[in-house]
Amino acid sequence: MADAFESPVDVAADERGLSGLGQMAIVIIVAVVTLALLNAHALAAWADTLEPGARSARIGDAAHALADRTAARGFDGPRATLHDQWNRAKAARWSGQSRPDQAPAE
Amino acid sequence: MLFPTLDFGLFFLPVLLLVWTVGQASNEWRKIILLLASWIFYGAWDWRFVLLLIASAALNWGCAQAIQRRLDDGRSAQPWLGLGVAANLAILGFFKYFGFFIDQLAPLLVKAGWGRDLPLIEVILPVGISFFTFQGMSYLIDIARRQTAPATFLDTTLLMSFFPHLVAGPIVRASHLVPQFARVPKLTRGMVATALILICWGLFKKTVIASELATGLVDKAFFDPTAQSGLDLLAGAYGYAVQIYCDFSAYSDMAVGLAALLGYRFPRNFLSPYRSGSLQEFWRRWHISLSSWLRDYLYISLGGNRGGVWFICRNLMITMLLGGFWHGAKWTFLIWGALHGGVLAIERLWREWRPAGLPALPRPLAILIIFHIVVAGWIFFRADTLDGALAFFTQLWAFRPGVALASPLLCGLIAFGLAIHFTPPALLPALGRRVAAWPAPLLGLATGLAILIVDAMRFEGVAAFIYYQF
Repeated sequence: MADAFESPVDVAADERGLSGLGQMAIVIIVAVVTLALLNAHALAAWADTLEPGARSARIGDAAHALADRTAARGFDGPRATLHDQWNRAKAARWSGQSRPDQAPAE
Repeated sequence: MLFPTLDFGLFFLPVLLLVWTVGQASNEWRKIILLLASWIFYGAWDWRFVLLLIASAALNWGCAQAIQRRLDDGRSAQPWLGLGVAANLAILGFFKYFGFFIDQLAPLLVKAGWGRDLPLIEVILPVGISFFTFQGMSYLIDIARRQTAPATFLDTTLLMSFFPHLVAGPIVRASHLVPQFARVPKLTRGMVATALILICWGLFKKTVIASELATGLVDKAFFDPTAQSGLDLLAGAYGYAVQIYCDFSAYSDMAVGLAALLGYRFPRNFLSPYRSGSLQEFWRRWHISLSSWLRDYLYISLGGNRGGVWFICRNLMITMLLGGFWHGAKWTFLIWGALHGGVLAIERLWREWRPAGLPALPRPLAILIIFHIVVAGWIFFRADTLDGALAFFTQLWAFRPGVALASPLLCGLIAFGLAIHFTPPALLPALGRRVAAWPAPLLGLATGLAILIVDAMRFEGVAAFIYYQF
């Protein structure tokens, strides 16, 4: 007794060639490698939050080594540039606008 | 364990690998893997609540079997249905409303000299309890109405525990999900592409729009409305409307996307709610799985439209008041429900008694009016106390000059969060079709870059989803 219902993932695409499963496997591998190269510092930051111990120390060492190596080649540049731009946009104020920690401008 | 975290990513990828390798050979093992993964996911909050989840599933499975036996024997299902629904409500009531009722009774008991007998139990609210108890109740009612067949113990437990929907919905019905558990699902390229779009889009809405608005504007505006200017409070109210939409719809998008990567289809839960021209339409577009639940299991059970106009208005009011109470034991939620119920009743009366020949409101004007009614409701919904909500309205009315909180970026995010409601409904499937045709390495690179961009823009740390508390 299955109900017919609409799901956002009901998309009739061209299914010729690589199967959905094969496509997902390649997509995940490529995405993980891309993030490991361009955003290794996120992995290092995550490793720093692990409870101290021999295993977390090993994970931390590996994550920081990867972050250092990718940073030395400038791979962390695009993320850092974007992050700076975003922070600049966050800091922007209307002309005459007071900062959030000040009283509103009359 | 929150979806937009590395912790969740490191949990999900091995599950995905196991499900599509070990689970490909045996559907039973696939379901067992998913069940164990769901318990690990839920146990990350508190292991004791996993026992509650298992007990709740066992209760609903047992009641479902008993209901079906009575139906097969040609007897009424009412006794077991009543028992099952009452047991689900008792679980929900104890964990969610015990503290509220004790707080309300305390002044009376103190006055009567029984103050020292007040229980000192601090009840911890299990995450997502409202969702899985509602799911259990709808399962039993569907069986009693012969709309679905009882599932096996494994399927019932997985239905209630399945981690993508476990803590904040969508409330997936047995008739939607259990038939999908019958065989190993097939993953299509269209599903994969759309799932990835939904996951990335959900990440952006939650970690960039909702988090930025919450920390930069909304939390400050609601913390002390008396200290804020009129423009900041107005931006805070609009900001919360966008925040709650981006927060909750992001969870639903990610839940739908994650389930799809595991091979399962979930129903749509949001459909551009702020482009509604009536409150009735709003409830067809907002949290669709809850509004359809309330319609099918509460409104219809109360008599629905089978009566005069005042009878219908009464049912609308009761349904929305209980809908408000479902969100939590607070007067602000009850007022939010009463506001929605009242406006739905007025819309119904207007439809009944509208003078003939009176032209209908232009749709843009109707959308604007409904949006502001919804925003007024959100102020009660967001405020910590009734006094806080009233202070917000008072200060908004006083409209003190100046602006401190509403920066250009935050105003831009509010405008963007509202503008996305007016994109064509066919945009997602069209995008999904196009992206599905991309070579897999290109799609992988695009996914990695999309996550990188979101990570560069995201607020430091991730706040829990708003609906986790319900």
